[in-house]
Amino acid sequence: MQTTRLNPARRFFAIRGMASAMIAFAALIVIYVVFGLSNPNVFSGANIQNLLRSMSKYLIIGIGQSYLLITGNIDLSIGSLVGMSAMISATMMTHGTNPILASLIALACCLTIGLINGLLVGKAQLPPFIATLGTMFVARGVGYMINGNRNTDAIASGIGADAGDRFQNFFYYGKTFGVYNTFLVALVVFIVFFFLLSKTRTGRHIYAIGSNVDAAKLSGVSVFATTTKAYLVSAFCAFVVGLILCAQASMGNMEAGNMYEMYAVAAGVIGGISPLGGTGLLLGTFAGAAVWQTLENGLNMVGAQVGLQRIVIGVIVVFSVLLDVVIRRGARKRSK
Amino acid sequence: MGEILVSMEHICKSFPGVKALDDVHFELRAGEVMALLGENGAGKSTLMKVLSGVYTRDSGRMEIFGKEQGDLTPRQAQELGVAIIHQELNMCRHLSVAENIFLGREKTKFATLSNREMEGEARRILQELKMDLNPQQVVGELPVSKQQMVEIAKALSTNARVLIMDEPTSSLTSREINDLFRIIRELKAKGCGIVYISHRLEELQYIVDRVTIMRDGQFVTSANFRDIGMNEIIANMVGREIKEKFPRVTCQRGKRVFEVKHLNAGRMVRDISFELHEGEIVGFAGLMGAGRTETTRAIFGADPKESGEIMLDGKPVRIRKVADAIRAGIVLAPEDRKKDGLCTKLSLRQNIALPNLDMLCDRMGVVRRNRETTMCTRAVEELMIKTPSIDKDAATLSGGNQQKVVVAKWLARNSRVVMFDEPTRGIDVAAKVEIYHLMNKLKQQGIAVMFVSSEMPEIMGISDRIIVMCDGRITGELSAEEATQEKILTLATQFEKKVAAANE
Repeated sequence: MQTTRLNPARRFFAIRGMASAMIAFAALIVIYVVFGLSNPNVFSGANIQNLLRSMSKYLIIGIGQSYLLITGNIDLSIGSLVGMSAMISATMMTHGTNPILASLIALACCLTIGLINGLLVGKAQLPPFIATLGTMFVARGVGYMINGNRNTDAIASGIGADAGDRFQNFFYYGKTFGVYNTFLVALVVFIVFFFLLSKTRTGRHIYAIGSNVDAAKLSGVSVFATTTKAYLVSAFCAFVVGLILCAQASMGNMEAGNMYEMYAVAAGVIGGISPLGGTGLLLGTFAGAAVWQTLENGLNMVGAQVGLQRIVIGVIVVFSVLLDVVIRRGARKRSK
Repeated sequence: MGEILVSMEHICKSFPGVKALDDVHFELRAGEVMALLGENGAGKSTLMKVLSGVYTRDSGRMEIFGKEQGDLTPRQAQELGVAIIHQELNMCRHLSVAENIFLGREKTKFATLSNREMEGEARRILQELKMDLNPQQVVGELPVSKQQMVEIAKALSTNARVLIMDEPTSSLTSREINDLFRIIRELKAKGCGIVYISHRLEELQYIVDRVTIMRDGQFVTSANFRDIGMNEIIANMVGREIKEKFPRVTCQRGKRVFEVKHLNAGRMVRDISFELHEGEIVGFAGLMGAGRTETTRAIFGADPKESGEIMLDGKPVRIRKVADAIRAGIVLAPEDRKKDGLCTKLSLRQNIALPNLDMLCDRMGVVRRNRETTMCTRAVEELMIKTPSIDKDAATLSGGNQQKVVVAKWLARNSRVVMFDEPTRGIDVAAKVEIYHLMNKLKQQGIAVMFVSSEMPEIMGISDRIIVMCDGRITGELSAEEATQEKILTLATQFEKKVAAANE
């Protein structure tokens, strides 16, 4: 019996999904340096701070979507959940509710939708695209109605400047150890869900059902429970992003989180999460979110139009998936 | 001889319309390899599915490790110590060897996976079986044989003492087969009982202790392998009486229409050469997975060819895609009607018109409805398809009528060669006879008919010539007069000797 001893670098890349995550990081560095050479302000400390703060939203929402992508499903409702979370928490805060209580209620509402997604996809076996398309509209509708089809007033006005300020600083404007709190929040979310995915039984089952549902079932894995857990994770992530957007705008915006479900797919896919399920690391999602934000930021700073930004991002997403498909096809041929 | 691990008596199991198991006996002892033999559809897999809890029996007694058992679920059977390795491997390709072995039974400590412990345990199991596998390796990167070893390791990690293997060697190379046999011998030495289902009769001599033979859902005989000869095994497998009458039509064998020379397409189509003449039906017999379907698909252009020549009326035709074959008049009624033959959600009209739109459209590409109606009405009348209207969904028809629609697609144009792949599977007797009549009619019209079937009676009853395939190669040809079930089965099990060379 030979035990293969690999040198540390080889062992690092032998971790499944690590190669694609590292490719995304390499792309990130290239993109960053290219922009920095054309506009030195990109390298400034203030810009790096901003970059980290802005990428946090994409990172958190991307983590949620990555969980679903790894199971071979998708969650289209998370963008609307972001809006719902922002609207519910902001509306309550403007009516004088304590921010913590307001957040908890928003969380409960988001998790309810996540649970419904799990029931529809895991139990009723609806195609995830359709099931979450439905909940996407429902959640957005709830977000609209919560404050009577209007954006909310400034949250700091209702509960007194104090509590509102604290909320805003905690999620967006404040810094701890010289880093924006938003990024620290994202980091905590990242570490928790990284642990859940890579170190726990639930995480293992998430990879298993994405890889081969039948094999997982025959091994005694509950597909329903696992799917539902993944939808609860994405709902939680959407909830957090909702609070961040609420804090950033100092109010509840009905359109908050619009299209975020798609940004989340993009972040995951750029980072090497396979949309066909079974593979991917959250480290890749991290890189993917950073690539996304760096592109947006850099293209802004060199004065490119929004249209061009979208085109560039669209091309990058397609190429990432193309890479995944080509790699898979190659692997299948080799194993034959 | 070891203790009795499994004893099944008077087991019956019916599915709608078929009696799959009829009063079957089966016994497995510790430390033996029991070969379970029989033709396709003899009931071997059904019996093993009853044992492993996938199916529940209608009646009969089942004792496992001396204890009588009621209906089992797969999970319960597993916990009892009965493990089955299905023919199609069930693995999570993206997960590692250790992760697959422990899937659903992960070891954790404080809610955290104990990867090191599981890998250690996996390594221990693999070492015990002398399998050269790294527990950290991703399963999808392993060759099929190693994946199979992972399945075995997974089965044994649950401490199974009864191991059922369904065609384990079909995708292995000779070295891999030797590895597998070595593992089987080791399991045997440890007191496990192994049920070995295989069509490769020549392999049996290396590992098998006893054989149980089944036919048509019934137990035929059980014997020590040493005491029974290969001829006796084959005779027991086939002795199936032919009850049905087949409408054979004799007509003059005409000139050569179609010829395939040295066709190669992947592992399942190797150096295939044959010819078809006017006025004859040529049957293609063989076991499932003999490469007959692959051959028809390669000829039809549905799968890529590696080499070989196809001649129609003495002239070579190039078939690179399906449209080439259709244009040349070489058509296929595929094996799986619902998957490959029909668009079940579309109407009969749309199904019949689909491959013939070139004839039905005007110059602008608009479908001429009256032409379409004429074509479909004529097809329905000619083939006596029972349907209230040509606008009915294909899914609403019975199996036999669906099969006729598949054929109707091709008869609207002047096809020269029609390939039928298992055309009577899953349809009732009356409908089968109609399909036979249809083939006879084509034969009389001078169309070359290629008839792939795994049902020996019908292939012997209808064909004028029978070509037998095994493992991607043609192993023989018999005329209708000389063909017997024994001869066909002997040819159909002529596997290349993979094991002989390296085995002791």
